Amino acid sequence: MRSTSQGTIFDGKDTMIQLIHVSKQYDQRSALSDVSLEIGKGEFVLLMGPSGAGKSTLLRMLIGAERPDGGQIFVHQKSVTTLRPSDIPYLRRKVGTVFQDFRLLPKKSVFDNVSLPLLVQGVSSADIRRKVTEALRAVGVEHKRDQLPAGLSTGEQQRVCIARAIVNGPVVLLADEPTGNLDPVLTSEIIELFKLINARGTTVVVATHDPLVMAQVNRRVLTLSQGRLLPEQRGLA
Amino acid sequence: MRTLAYLLRESWVNMRTNRMTTMVAILTTAFTLACVGIFLLLYVNLRAAAGWLQDDIKIMVYLDDRLTSDSIAEVEQHLRSDRAVASLLFISKEQALGEFKAQFPSESHLLEGLGQNPLPASYVVALSPSFRSPDAVKRWAERVRQIAGVSKVDYNQDWIDALATVIRSIELVAIGIGVILSAAAVTIIANTIRLTLFARRDEIAILRLIGATTSFIRIPYLVEGAVLGALGSALSLVMLKFMYELFRQQMRTTGRFAGLDNLMAFFPPSVCLTLIAVGMGLGFAGSFVSIRRFGEGKA
Repeated sequence: MRSTSQGTIFDGKDTMIQLIHVSKQYDQRSALSDVSLEIGKGEFVLLMGPSGAGKSTLLRMLIGAERPDGGQIFVHQKSVTTLRPSDIPYLRRKVGTVFQDFRLLPKKSVFDNVSLPLLVQGVSSADIRRKVTEALRAVGVEHKRDQLPAGLSTGEQQRVCIARAIVNGPVVLLADEPTGNLDPVLTSEIIELFKLINARGTTVVVATHDPLVMAQVNRRVLTLSQGRLLPEQRGLA
Repeated sequence: MRTLAYLLRESWVNMRTNRMTTMVAILTTAFTLACVGIFLLLYVNLRAAAGWLQDDIKIMVYLDDRLTSDSIAEVEQHLRSDRAVASLLFISKEQALGEFKAQFPSESHLLEGLGQNPLPASYVVALSPSFRSPDAVKRWAERVRQIAGVSKVDYNQDWIDALATVIRSIELVAIGIGVILSAAAVTIIANTIRLTLFARRDEIAILRLIGATTSFIRIPYLVEGAVLGALGSALSLVMLKFMYELFRQQMRTTGRFAGLDNLMAFFPPSVCLTLIAVGMGLGFAGSFVSIRRFGEGKA
């Protein structure tokens, strides 16, 4: 992964995510200021920074939920900035998202929650059963498939959220403060899960302000501070 | 298939989750559409009545008293050769007098006092179906009035015209009320759907984030709106049918209008189905309005 101050030429197939001079303001307050970075295929990147540094804004831009005021964004060789609104769902099918508050549907079972990304794509019933079972097994909550989210522990709910994010085999997994509601033990387990997912070839970007996560992930770290990208560092071993 | 089942199930879940709102929406839509239905029913029945009256129209062609029997035969020949004439009945002066006496026995002495029969001979003419429209009848009467030996042409078009004017007024009122109340039905359903959308806003946000297309998100709400509209319309027809039967019962038991109840008619099945489809369309439109507003500017 490389981040540059002047931006980089989009160099094709080995780049998964690229931001070129991206800026975003909310009510005169700068959320992101001239951010340029590049994340390669299969990388595991930590996006660090205190609350309000612009991490969530950056992640939301990667899935087309926010438009930058300036600059360009590419994900999987597609320009997100020029994407038509009707094409955004198709981008999101390639990018799995994990949230701090899990965002599970409370009245649907674990199985139904995880099957949603496949349902919206019109996948057949047999394939849905197979893929959901695989995803639940991968995150270790297969035995909870018929339960409602309210009957699960916070760690289990986050696992279900991860299962939903990976069930359709996304090329990128974005996680916004995924361990914010978890204790240190559960945090470790979730980070290990992300490592496993990354080991299978999925590009993983985890936004966090938790130093414990950084301590566990010996990977490249991007740090945002007041909307600006700081010089790179590596996570602690 | 699973996706379709999911979308339909979601519509059902929406309606079940907001049971009370759904019930209120169906009931208010039903009352609203029933109001439109009353005018529509009145309009349909009056139009049918006007049609029967127009079909039954009889034209009296009065002859000049001074006509000889040859001249009367000439007039009859003229009328019989007219392709607009379906049937012809001659009423002589004597027959006219006899009918007058039979119909007004207490007034017959008035004519006796005149010494001679003042009533003219006449032809009662029924026109062919294609010449029974008000304009055609008027044109035909004016033409016949020009025939030598014809003193007067008379028919009951005036009050048929008056009835037609009433029907046109009811038609306009029905259209006006129909438009206003249909807009009300759309608003009622739109508000119901808006409540559902608000209650499920988190779920909609999640669906957007996992790559659901706009149509995938919209379909359950559009189905819900259409179902509410169709159920409201069906219920309004049940209410109208009940009121209609009650009204007929009242007419049957009221001596003055006895027999008229047999001339009344409810909407035929095809019209009922059309009205349900219209209700469905209104519900769909209401839902669409809400979704459009709700969807704007969302991620």
